[in-house]
Amino acid sequence: MTASSERDDRTLLLHAMLDGELDAAGAVEAEHRLAADPQAQVEYARLQVLRTVIRTHTPRESAPEALRARLVAAASADEASPLRPTPTPARHMIDRPSWRMFASAIAATVVVSVGAQTLIRSALSPDDATRAVVAGYVRGQISEKPVDVASSDRHTVKPWLANKLPVAALIVDLSAEGFPLLGGRVDVVGGNPVPTLVYKHRQHLLTVTELRPSAVDYAMTPRHITLDGYSVVFWKDSAHGYVAVSDIAPAEFDAFIEIFRKAAAKEQDRQD
Amino acid sequence: MTSETARRRFTEQVLPHLDDAFSLARWLTGSATDAEDVVQDACLRALKALDGAPVERPRAWLLTITRNTAFSWLAKNRSHMLVLVGGPEEAKSHGSVFTSDPGATQEESLIANADRACVTAAIDDLPLAFKETLIMREINGLSYREISEATGAPIGTVMSRLARARALMIEKLGRPS
Repeated sequence: MTASSERDDRTLLLHAMLDGELDAAGAVEAEHRLAADPQAQVEYARLQVLRTVIRTHTPRESAPEALRARLVAAASADEASPLRPTPTPARHMIDRPSWRMFASAIAATVVVSVGAQTLIRSALSPDDATRAVVAGYVRGQISEKPVDVASSDRHTVKPWLANKLPVAALIVDLSAEGFPLLGGRVDVVGGNPVPTLVYKHRQHLLTVTELRPSAVDYAMTPRHITLDGYSVVFWKDSAHGYVAVSDIAPAEFDAFIEIFRKAAAKEQDRQD
Repeated sequence: MTSETARRRFTEQVLPHLDDAFSLARWLTGSATDAEDVVQDACLRALKALDGAPVERPRAWLLTITRNTAFSWLAKNRSHMLVLVGGPEEAKSHGSVFTSDPGATQEESLIANADRACVTAAIDDLPLAFKETLIMREINGLSYREISEATGAPIGTVMSRLARARALMIEKLGRPS
C-alpha cells in the first residue's frame, strides 16, 4: 500500500466517523487510531468545526407557502386537476395563477364532507374535526385572506365573532409575546360554525380554532400530529377544545401553544 | 390516475419532507424560483408514482426524485452548470489538506469564524457532484447508503466525494483573506 492511499484511507475513516457511519467495531478502531495520531486529531477537529459552520449558516430552508398549498390542493383535487405532471417542468406552471382554481376545489371538498357529516349527525371523531380545521387553514393560505375580521384588537374581534356565533369566543392577544393577533374568522367544522383566531409570527400564520369540548375527544395535554404537511396540536380545557395549526418550526410552535394556554387560562379565570 | 391511496400516502409521507426537497433543489439550481419549479414537478411525479407499491423511506425517496428532476431541469435550462465531474478531478487524492501544525490552529479559527456569505459561496463553488453529496449529507442528513441510492454512485465514490467536498471547503474557508 502506498503512503498516499494509506493516507486516503485514514481520511475516509475520519469522515465516516464524523458522519456516524461506522459500526461499533469500526468506531473503536477509529478512536484508537485517532488517539495515537496527532495529525489525525487536527484533521478531525477541523472537520468538526467545518460541520458546525456549515450547519449554522445553511439551515434547511422552508418551502414557500404557495408551493405547499398548491401541492396540498393537487393531492386533494381529483382527476380533473390541471396541475398534472408535464414532461418538462415549465415556468408557466408557476406564473399562471391556475392554482387559484383549487381554492374552490378545496372549499367544495370541505362543504361536501361537512354536509355528509351533518347527515350522519354523530359526534365527530377528533380526526374529522381536526381534518376540517386543517382544511380551513389551507384555504386561508390559498385565498390570501386568512381572516374575516382583520384587527389586532380583541375588543373588535370579539363582538364581531359574537354576532356570528352562538357562543362567546375566548380571545387572547399575544402580541407582547411575539405573536400579534391578525384577526378572526368563522370556520365550519362538522356543520357547526366555530371561531378561529389567526396569529402571525414573522411571515407565518398560526391559527387556533375553538371547538365545543363535547364534539371532540381531546386530552388535556396537547398532542402533536402532522397533517398535510402542517403541524397540528390539539387539546382541551374545562370549557373548550382547541386545534392549533401552523407551518412554523416545531420548537416555536410549542412555545406558542404554551403561551396561548397560559393566556387562555388567565382569561377564563377573569371571566369566571 | 391517482388513487385515493396515492393521495393519502402523498399527504402523509411526501408533504412532511417538502422543506428538505426544497432545500436540496435550492442548492442544486441556485435559485428559489427554479427550486419551486423543480420541487413542484418532483412532487407531482411522486404523487403519480405512489399508485404503485408503498415507499419504504419516503424522505430519501422524495429527495432522489427531486435530485433527478433538478438534473433534468438543469440539463434543459442551465446546461452550462452541468459540468461533469469524474476523470482528473475525481481521481485526485481525497486531499486531506494538511498544513504544518503551527498553522492548523489559525486555520481552524478562520473556518470557525467564516460568515454566512463565505460559507454559501464556498458551497456554491463546489463542483456539482461534490455539492449535491455535501448538501444531502449536511443539510438533508442522508446516510451514505441513501446518498448512494439517490445519486447512483457507489458508496466508495460517495465517501470520496464527501471528503473532497469538505477538503475544498476547508481549503477555501481556512485561507486568510
